Amino acid sequence: MNDTLFSQLSTLGSSIILMFGIGLLWRKSLHAYAESFKWQSVALTIMFLIIGYFGDDHELYVVAVVLFILKVLVIPYYLNRMENRFGDQRELQPYVNVASSLILAGLLVLLAYAITRPLVLVSELSTRGGMPLAMGLIFVGLFVVITRKKAMMQIVGFLVMENGVALLAVLGTFGIPIIVELGVFLDVLMGFLVMQVFVYHIHTTFESIDVDQMNELKH
Amino acid sequence: MTGYLLEFGQALLALLLAPGLVGFVRWVKARLQNRRGAPIWLPYFELKKLFGKDVVVSNNASWLFRVAPYIVFVSALAVTFLIPLIAVPLPFDNVGDLMVVVYLLLLGTFFLALAGLDPGTAFGGMGSSREMTVAALAEPTIALAIFGLALGAGSTNLGRIVIATLANPGTAINPGHLLAFAALFIVSLAETGRLPVDNPSTHLELTMIHEAMILEYSGRYLALIEWASWLKLTIFFTLLSNLFIPWGMATKLTPAALGIALLTLILKFIVLGLAVAIVETRIAKLRLFRVPELLGMSFVLALLAVTSSFLLK
Repeated sequence: MNDTLFSQLSTLGSSIILMFGIGLLWRKSLHAYAESFKWQSVALTIMFLIIGYFGDDHELYVVAVVLFILKVLVIPYYLNRMENRFGDQRELQPYVNVASSLILAGLLVLLAYAITRPLVLVSELSTRGGMPLAMGLIFVGLFVVITRKKAMMQIVGFLVMENGVALLAVLGTFGIPIIVELGVFLDVLMGFLVMQVFVYHIHTTFESIDVDQMNELKH
Repeated sequence: MTGYLLEFGQALLALLLAPGLVGFVRWVKARLQNRRGAPIWLPYFELKKLFGKDVVVSNNASWLFRVAPYIVFVSALAVTFLIPLIAVPLPFDNVGDLMVVVYLLLLGTFFLALAGLDPGTAFGGMGSSREMTVAALAEPTIALAIFGLALGAGSTNLGRIVIATLANPGTAINPGHLLAFAALFIVSLAETGRLPVDNPSTHLELTMIHEAMILEYSGRYLALIEWASWLKLTIFFTLLSNLFIPWGMATKLTPAALGIALLTLILKFIVLGLAVAIVETRIAKLRLFRVPELLGMSFVLALLAVTSSFLLK
């Protein structure tokens, strides 16, 4: 009973985390992107707690706390600050329109199911149901990075992709060593800060954060 | 024999509950918006008033215009025989499964759209074209969402799905179930002309969908169409509440069980009605061109529901 509950909760949590990722494709403003990312991170934190509880691994609680501070408090705060600085940024014309993006996201998740099928078949873990969804989230994050024009939306896409990696790691291993986990978090934070600085530079040089306009550099 | 009697009782119950349900949603919405709100039983008087009025029909309208209200009403009424309202299993479960339900609903929509086109007014045609856009996008999602459940239960028979969930309560927090619920909820709002897609309380020319189609109708025809659209809301509420949260439904045909089933049904309707009213108060109507995106979202939800119940068996 405990095992089925665990497996259902982990699949359910992964579905919810994935839905926040797909929800990004539907939203337009940076504020909405930041909100989606924040709530996705909240769900991810809860997921870590659940796995920590059922997998009986207390280090995961520590990881969950760090994750909460970093991805629910710090990064959304900086995202909102960027929004205040640049004004209301909207993704008005992505390379792929919203309706097609959504359908493609569905297909990407199916692709993730196909790719992780061998893994799920050999796996004995009760969390195996969530693995395809985590893989799907990585694809969806990458899709956001590829198809959105505004630099800040791409950053959020990258962060969502990283959430997918974290989810896949915790589902597949019940927690990698805490030191590795912390190193990854630090990398994400550094990456985010570096990208933020870049966006500021892009903004001052081009007076826009639409990376499409960077094509002008070629001429 | 009692089974058949119960079927008729159930259809009658749906017919009688439908106006009250709409009245309740309107009332809660009014309260949330700091208005006093019309009494819950106002829709019953609305029907009585409309049935008492004369019918005015345009000279340009053909027989289709006169037939459509009956088809719309009867197709909605037929669905109430097939869905699990208060008891399972029922004899008519074997008459039609979820495909029949979905396509009976679509039949009503189709004739309503034809009737909107028939008198040749600009608004009617506009409403019809919009309604068909929404219906074309919503219909596959409904089927897919219920398929997500059917895969879990191993049958497309609605009664069997309910019994399977009752027998195995753990499946209710299955991701397949919850995603399908979310998908079906969004589609219900679209199909019954509720807020993010269509505003049921105004005749705002540029945005209306359902109201535009029925603009030419009056008297008993209008009454039938309104009643049918309220029935449709009741049908979707029933699907949402009884397929996903079937507890309380009568599995034995004793008076006590049926009484409990009726009470829980009303309770579920109240909860869903509150949810719809809150959603409608919280959000604004979407621009028409964003509606396909919303329905695309619900389609993806339904697709994920099916994959997670199919591939993780």
